[in-house]
Amino acid sequence: MSADVRLGALLERARDGDRESLRELVHELNPVLWRVARGQGLSAEDAADVVQTTWLELLRRLHEIRTPRAVTAWLITATRRESWHRQQRGRRDVPDSEAVLDTAVDPGPPPDDRLLTDERDTVLWRHFNRLSERCRELLSIVAEVHRPDYSAIASALGMPHGSIGPTRGRCLEKLRGMLVADPKWGA
Amino acid sequence: MSDPVDAEILERIARWDRPPPDLDERVLFAIELDQVDAEVARLTETAYAGSGARAAERTRTITFEADSRTVMITVVERPDNLVRIDGWLAPGAALRVELRLPEPAASRTVTADRAGRFVFDEVPHGLAQLLVEAQNGGGRVVTPSLVL
Repeated sequence: MSADVRLGALLERARDGDRESLRELVHELNPVLWRVARGQGLSAEDAADVVQTTWLELLRRLHEIRTPRAVTAWLITATRRESWHRQQRGRRDVPDSEAVLDTAVDPGPPPDDRLLTDERDTVLWRHFNRLSERCRELLSIVAEVHRPDYSAIASALGMPHGSIGPTRGRCLEKLRGMLVADPKWGA
Repeated sequence: MSDPVDAEILERIARWDRPPPDLDERVLFAIELDQVDAEVARLTETAYAGSGARAAERTRTITFEADSRTVMITVVERPDNLVRIDGWLAPGAALRVELRLPEPAASRTVTADRAGRFVFDEVPHGLAQLLVEAQNGGGRVVTPSLVL
């Protein structure tokens, strides 16, 4: 069964009140939504919050979703929109004195300054960041989806339906080219 | 996946920046509601205050905004490792406010005063969620789960 059909079936059962299907849907799609929110430049704390808000919105609109198979696309689109709004509001996490800085919750390292312990990860990370934003976003999402539902990703990213496969191929080819030319990767 | 290099690339990318281990738990707790038609309040601001030297003096103020109402809470650490929540509803109204806690803890309900003030005391650390009763035909307001 393809991913969209299976997830659509879970959504329909969740709509009929089956909590277990809803849990399964959350486990399956949370990592993807997390990527989408982080890809929009949100801190770890904000991304976690946006993902939650998106699920609450899905629950609220559960009966309005006419094509259950499109649930992945719906959630990715909603997460992007929530992330955008979150950034527009420019959350002001301002401590009222410097003394409390150390008590604030650590939002985690920013995406460009993560601690990568593995040498190959470090090399990959460096070249990955030379890709276009679109390539980075697309590869992050397809890396997370086991059986990529290209049509869902396409509609969520506003790309033509037939273009995800070829774009993914081009992005990977470019990255692979840079890696193979880097002696630190090849070694 | 046909190409082994592509496979390794995607595998490594997937391992970067994993979601926080409690993300599923937070989401599942937040959506466990019986009533799902509530208006979702967005977290708009978090501010920290206090000396920081002693946990008991630390406070955190969190603001949630829904179209119909703003919910602001200050979480105050108590010396006994519990917290007190001082809350305000704006516009103020004497509405029932529910504090949902993960099972087996029971939910608590208080009624705000006419100015919209409410208090929950001796609340354990951990996940929590606030629900505000509907008024004048509007929907209930629900916040995302927060970690106290």
